[in-house]
This record gives sequence, structure tokens and C-alpha cells, in this order.
Amino acid sequence: METLSHLGHGFSVAFSPMNLLWCLVGTTLGTAIGVLPGLGPALTIALLLPITYQVAPEASFILFAGIYYGAMYGGSTTSILLNTPGESATIVTALEGNRMARSGRGGAALATSAIGSFVAGTIGTLGVAFLAPVVVKFALAFGPAEYFSLMVLAFITVSAVLGSSSVRGLTSLFIGFVIGMIGVDLQTGQPRFTFGMNELLDGVDVIIAAVGLFAVGETLYMASRRYAGKDEIVPLKGSLYMTAAEWGRSWKPWLRGALIGFPIGAMPAGGAEIPTFLSYAIEKKLSKHKEEFGTVGAIEGVAGPEAANNASAAGVLVPMLTLGLPTSATAAIMLSAFQSYGINPGPLLLTTQADLVWGLIASLFIANVILVILNLPLIGLWVRLLKIPAPQLYAGILVFATVGTYGISQSPIDLIILYLLGAAGFLMRRFDFPTAPVIIGMILGPLAETQFRRAMTISNGDWSVFYTHKLSLVLLILAFIGLAGPHIWAFIEHRRRRGPEHVPGDA
Amino acid sequence: MSSSDQQPAPTRLAMPELLIGIGLLACAAAVAWQTLAIPVSPLYSKVGPTVFPYITMTGMIVLSLLLILAAVRGGWQPQEEKETPTDLKAMGIVVAGLVANLVLIQPLGFTAASVIMFVLVCYGFGSRHTLRDALTGLILALAAYFGFARALGVNIGAGFIENQLNTVIDAIITTLRG
Amino acid sequence: MLNRRRFLMSTAAAGAAGFVATHLTPAFAQDAPQIQIFVPAAPGGGWDQTGRTIDQVLRSEKLISGSQITNVGGAGGTVGLPQFISQWKGKGNSLMVAGMVMVGAIIANKSANNLSEVTPIARLTGEFEALVVPADSPFKTAGDFVAALKADPTKVPVAGGSAGGSDHILFGLIAKTVGVPATNLSYVPFAGGGEALSALLGNQVAAGISGFGEFSEQIKAGALRLLAISADKRQDGIDAPTMKEAGIDVELFNWRGVFAPPGVSDADKAAMVTMIETMAKSDAWATECKNRNWTPILLTGDDYAKFLADDTARITAILKDLGLA
Repeated sequence: METLSHLGHGFSVAFSPMNLLWCLVGTTLGTAIGVLPGLGPALTIALLLPITYQVAPEASFILFAGIYYGAMYGGSTTSILLNTPGESATIVTALEGNRMARSGRGGAALATSAIGSFVAGTIGTLGVAFLAPVVVKFALAFGPAEYFSLMVLAFITVSAVLGSSSVRGLTSLFIGFVIGMIGVDLQTGQPRFTFGMNELLDGVDVIIAAVGLFAVGETLYMASRRYAGKDEIVPLKGSLYMTAAEWGRSWKPWLRGALIGFPIGAMPAGGAEIPTFLSYAIEKKLSKHKEEFGTVGAIEGVAGPEAANNASAAGVLVPMLTLGLPTSATAAIMLSAFQSYGINPGPLLLTTQADLVWGLIASLFIANVILVILNLPLIGLWVRLLKIPAPQLYAGILVFATVGTYGISQSPIDLIILYLLGAAGFLMRRFDFPTAPVIIGMILGPLAETQFRRAMTISNGDWSVFYTHKLSLVLLILAFIGLAGPHIWAFIEHRRRRGPEHVPGDA
Repeated sequence: MSSSDQQPAPTRLAMPELLIGIGLLACAAAVAWQTLAIPVSPLYSKVGPTVFPYITMTGMIVLSLLLILAAVRGGWQPQEEKETPTDLKAMGIVVAGLVANLVLIQPLGFTAASVIMFVLVCYGFGSRHTLRDALTGLILALAAYFGFARALGVNIGAGFIENQLNTVIDAIITTLRG
Repeated sequence: MLNRRRFLMSTAAAGAAGFVATHLTPAFAQDAPQIQIFVPAAPGGGWDQTGRTIDQVLRSEKLISGSQITNVGGAGGTVGLPQFISQWKGKGNSLMVAGMVMVGAIIANKSANNLSEVTPIARLTGEFEALVVPADSPFKTAGDFVAALKADPTKVPVAGGSAGGSDHILFGLIAKTVGVPATNLSYVPFAGGGEALSALLGNQVAAGISGFGEFSEQIKAGALRLLAISADKRQDGIDAPTMKEAGIDVELFNWRGVFAPPGVSDADKAAMVTMIETMAKSDAWATECKNRNWTPILLTGDDYAKFLADDTARITAILKDLGLA
């Protein structure tokens, strides 16, 4: 096995004491920046580039690997505890994770997220080491038509987060479309929904929207309900870590999440968000504890998406290392770091720089181990965040949100957007509109539009591309099954029962 | 519990929900206005930049009409939520904190604005230990500021407090380095 | 090591600037000045890398003691530019990184401010563009491509960067010189280089136009075929004709340069030009350019100002044809 010997060599590179230290520094730093909304791994690596020029390429890539994986871990911590996602890939984690935290199972949510990230990260990294050439072939088969069909499939999953009423859920989704369309239209360069403001030409950052809707909206809602005594946070109920039952409910979602996340992450336009939506939807469909979703928080809804986002983070490295294709901001920055060392990233990277590439892959494994070792004992500490009295906790979250939104961009417009979305989040909470579909609409809407229009431009207006391309057809059929199947079933069920369509508080 | 669909005819108009529906209709109108403002590009593209906005606009109009209808038929809010009075004073103070942060962050800098926001939000949530809150906020904001400024070289909005402290820190570094 | 004078100076500068001089490597004991670099783009992008490379080379050449980089990103630089003009006015120790992309963005976004309001210091680097096709494409030469384009432009989808960007501008220029109406072009914009590349490698589009560096490794590996480059002359080690040699009378550099704010004194301007010239002629700069596939095309002061005016006129014309101005 050639791969194994390469990998062995990679470990021998990564296992030097100095490189292990770099890995530790990277994972710690990555966790810290993952926690902060607005500051992601791409930005951090870009900022650290000048410092890392002074060290050997191996060491700096080991540092980057640590930052990259660490950010994914850190992002979920704040999603779960504070309902303030630090990365767009951890927005879905907040849905169930924060519910769990409020009902005293924050420790278990953090544990399943850390262990799930470890499992999925390891599977993903194994995938990078052994399957990269196969996966990349599959990923390149995806053209605009296939992506559009994938988006259609992803839209079907939205039904899983629409909440108790499809009218209000769809309203949220459409609001998301509108926010997502703000900015310059990529296909024609025309400004849309910008009200003539240059600051809006680049659109609204999805993280700002998520923090506004979830965290700021929540804060306003809690303030308005100060004397009602609703939604008291239970810091801890039962064991700090996962119980046997929770283990039993977690392991399958981890594996499924990893299997969804890795290939989609490897697709040039796949991203880390879509696999988390898909995983969430699948776990909700398969769960035997559907009543826990959206109420006390279902552990499957944390385990699956967390595994998916970490596996997709590994998947992104596939086109980067095999073809030199940067398919995410972080990959682009890492590639430019290669260049600054005089190493040309490209299809020949694996052969000309075997040491470096395998050292990087080995350090991804090590980073994963370090992260799980680092994070599990910290859970006890993190959970104590929930014991902070409400006034200081909410005030702290707002300071935090300011750092993330204003800190990087220095733009008061971003703060205004954050607060306006906070106000919207408050109203939505008050009038029982789900907020998650807004975020999903923001991410999927523009992607679907872009891919659809691209497909139509390339095909010269021929609609048949969506069903003559085999892969696209398969995805559309899957989407149709996903859409029609449960609805027909629900319709029959509804006719049979004629029960109330919506029972508030039960949603 | 459910107000609208359960009983046959409690047709009391629900004012707040009606306002929400009308507000959304207004949003749809704004979308329509902005869609009409999208310059029609002569660029070759089979599906232009206005197609999806029009679809979205249509969807929003339909949805807001459905919501208005639901509001006229009694609304959808759970009784419990309706009966809970909104604590306008607490909310007002929290909003004041947000506005203060927005207005002051450029002239006063990140730390000062954050401390003011922190204190107001805590007060809104019922804390009366204003001095202690101010101190907590100060420590939190300074930790965030220096974390960014010193570790990553990103300036997240310095003002009076940061400048003074930087002067002190630079002086200490100077003496330490001899 | 740090002397008192630098300490006082940096504090004074910070006070005047209204923000603190924080920097990655504080306190080098030198009398060299501290400068401010304004990057009107988010950290990580091309201008940001240019800014950070300038900072790095200036420091290694001991021309400055350190610098602080401020990023104000958005809308091709048109969010940052007004801020640089109004808030940085008269600061002689400051530089803004900008380039051809901003010229295009100013026109397309109908921005109220433009680059004639700032002080041109130097054009530093440029990247010529490449016209490529997938390895198994029927187009063997640029001539084949042009012939197909003339026959029916809608059947030749071409991938590149965002609408109105340098890739799109070059495609517009090519079409114009060979007599194909710009509005009939089937241009497929992609947000990132990786996505456009994968569309090419996956045979989703007929051809691609982007910076040579985006494609160079794939060309080397034989996954893409290079038809022509937009440079002014043949390049060492690149086995392809220029567009002019291939019968398309177009030349285009996606250039990047630096500007001082408006209202700086002539002395400050002259000092800045000298410093940047010294940097651009250093070995360290040459190495960085080589590593990053940047072609050094140094042009300073008034020549740069004239070039800027000409380029703006040319880009305005082509963006009008493309319906973006």
C-alpha cells in the first residue's frame, strides 16, 4: 500500500515535538476564532501568513490544519450554549443544541458535537488520504444543472425546519430569499435590493443574519418577557457527559453525517452548509424522538449536522490537494500560502510535494485527536457559562456580537443590519415564525438561482439539461420522493384524523 | 389553545397579527419597487436578474394575504403568548443599549461603547449592580480588543480608552526591552 | 532595543490618525518610518496580499519600521475608497492598494468617488490573462475559438470571474476586435477561481478566461490548453502566442498599484514614490512577484497618472458595450 507508507512518512513529519506544538497552537487558536462570529479560519490564516513566513512550510501548514479544524469545533460551542453561531456551518447546530442546553443537556450536546466532529473528521481525513482521486472525479461531474438539482433536493429538506405552520415557515423562507438577493447579481453585475447603498452591494453576511435573528432577537424577546418567567435556563440536569442512551442515539447520526458531508464538501460548489441542512432533515425524519425536536432538543439534530460539517471541512481539501482547486475561502488562502513558499499548487502537488501534503494530512489526524482531548474536559467549564445570571449573559452576548460584526468590517452599516435583523428576530419569536428558514433561504436561494441561470446560459436556454444529465435526473427523482412521499402520507393521515393542524407549544 | 382553526367561529380580528400581515405585504411592495429598479441588462443571459425577484415577490404577496386572512379569522398566536404583557420598559432599555453602542462606537471606540451597552442591557434585565456591571463589561471588552489587536493585528475600533492603554503598554514594552 | 523617539512618534501618529498603531511585530529599533496601509478589500484577497507583501518587503528592506494594515472591504473597493478620500486626507504616511478591478467597479457601481481624487504613487504589478480550453476541446488555436465565436457566440459559453470584472472586460475586448456584438456573448461568471476551473475541467463550458496564475498549474499538467495570453510580448517559459500574435488586437494587464490620499504634500508624495521605487527594485520584491505569478510593471508618478486616465477611458467604453455602465 503506497498510500499507507506515504501516510506513515507524513506522521513522521508531523510527530516532531516542534510540529506537535504548532498543531496545539493551531487547534487552540482555531477554537478561539471559531467561537467568535465573523472571524473565520480563512481570515485568521490570512492574518497569520506574515508570521508563518518565518517558519518551515511543514510547520505552517500544520498550524493551518489545526486552525481549520479547530474553528469548526469552536463554532459549535457558542451555537449550542449561546445560540450565537460562530461559523455558517454551525448554524444548524444551534437549532437543537441550544434547546438541549436550555433544558440541562448542554454537556451532552457539546460532547456529541465534539466526539461526532472527531469521528467525522477522522472519516473525512481518511477519505482525503485514500479516496481523493475517486471522489474528485465524482465532484467534477457536477455542473450547474446537477447543482441546481441538488439545491432542489436541499429545498425539500427545508420542510423539516418549517415549524408548526407551513404558511409562516414559508414566509420566513421567502424573507430569507429577499435578504439573500441583496447585492450585486453575480450573473449580470446588476445591483439588486440595495436601495442605492454601496455598502449593500456585497450583500448581507449570513453569519450577521444568524447572530441577529438568533442571538439579538432572543435577547430582545427575553427582555420583553422579563417577568413572565418563561424559558428559564436549566444549567445542568443529570450527567455532564452523554448517557448510554445518548451514545446510542448519536453514533448513527455521526456516521450518516460524515457520509453526507464528505462528498458534498469535495464538490467545488458544495460548501459546508448544505450537508448540515441535509443531515438535520434526515435525522429528524429517522429519529424515534421527533417530539424532542424544537422543544427540549434532540441529540440527533446536533450529532448529525456536527459530523456533516466536519466531514465537509475534510472534503474541501480533496480538490485542493489533488487538483489545486481552491473551493472555499480557506482553501484559497492555504493555496496562496503554498505559493508564497514557492510551491506551485496544482495537479502535480501530490507528486512534487509528497512530504508536505502527507505531513498536512497526518497533522489533520493529529489535530482531530488534540481537539477532542482539548474539548472534552472543557465541557464542564463551558457549561458553567449557562450559570452566568441572565443580565450579564445577555449583555455579554451582545458585546460578543458587536466584536464579530463591527470588529472585522469596521462598518456601522453591519451593526445596523445586525440590529434590524434582531428586531425582526424578536417579532418572529413573538409571533411564532421560525427563524431557521430565513437562514436557509439566504444560503440556498442565491445558490439555486445562480446555478439555474448558469445552467440555462450554458445550455442556451434548453431546459432539458436538468433531466438529460443522468446525475441531475437522479437528484430530481430523489427530491420528488422526498417531497411527495411524506405529503401523500400526511394527507391520508390528516383526512383520517381531522385533528387540529397546529398545537402551539407542542411544536 | 389554538385560536384559529380549532373552534368553528371565533372570528375576532387579531390586531397584532393583522399588522404583521400588512407589514409583510408592505415588504412585498418594497421588493416589487426594488425589482422594478433593477437595471435591465442587455447582457446575454437566458434567465435575467429579475426573474427570481418576481417569483419571490409573488410568493410574498400570496403568503402575506394568507396571513392577513388568518389574522381576520382570529390570528394564530397561542393564548399564553397573547396574555403575557410585554415588558416595554425593560425592552426599551435594552434597545437603548443597542442604539448607544451603534451611535458611540465610532466616536468613543469599541470599549467605551461596549461598556455603556453592557450596563444598559444589564439594567434592562433587572440588574442593579451598575458599578459591578460596568467593571465586568470593561474587562470583557478590553479582553476582546487586545485579543484582536495584539494577537492578530486587527484593529476592532479603538477610541480613547484603547489609545491610553496602548500608550501604557508600549511604554512598558519599551522599559522591559531596556 | 526600542528607542524613545520611535515610541513617541508612533504614539503621536496614532493620536493623529484617530486609531492605534498596533502591529504584528511591534517595536523594531529603527528610525525608519511607520506607515499605514489601507486595503479597500477584505483580508485574504489579492489587494490584501499585495498590501501585506508590500509591508513585508518594506520591512525586510528596512525602509519602514512597521505598518498597520486597515481593511475596509466591499463592492470592488468602492466602499473603502470614499473613506480613504475623506478620512485619510493629507496623511503623508499612508498608502492605499487598488487596481484595475476598482476602476471597473467605480464605473459599474456608479460610485460618487473615483481614482482621480487620490494621489497616484506607483503601478506595481500586473497579471496578464489567459484564454484556455479543456484538453479535449476541438479548439486547437485562438483562431478556432474566434471562428466559433463569430459563427454563433451563444454556442460558446466562456467561464470567468464576476460580471464586469477583468475577465469579462477582456472577453468584451476580444469580441469587439473580432466584430462580435458584446451583448450576444455567453459569459458564465463564477465567484471563485476554483469554481471556474472545475467547470472547465468538468467540460461544462467551452473556454475560460482568467488570470494566467489561476490556470498555470492546470496547463502544466495538461488538463487545460492555453490558446493565448493578453500580455504585450511573449513570456519566458510560456508556450503560447500573445493575443496580438494570434490575430486578436488586444492587450490587457490586470494591474495593481498604490495611491496616497488626496491632499498630501509634494515632499511626502516624492518620498513615498522613492520608497516604493526602491522597494520595487529590490530582490525581495522580485522574488515575491515570481512566487506569486505577478508580472512587475512598475510605473510611477505622472506616467502612472496618465496610464490611469487612459485605462479608465478604455474600460468605460467596454463596460458600456457590455451594458454595465
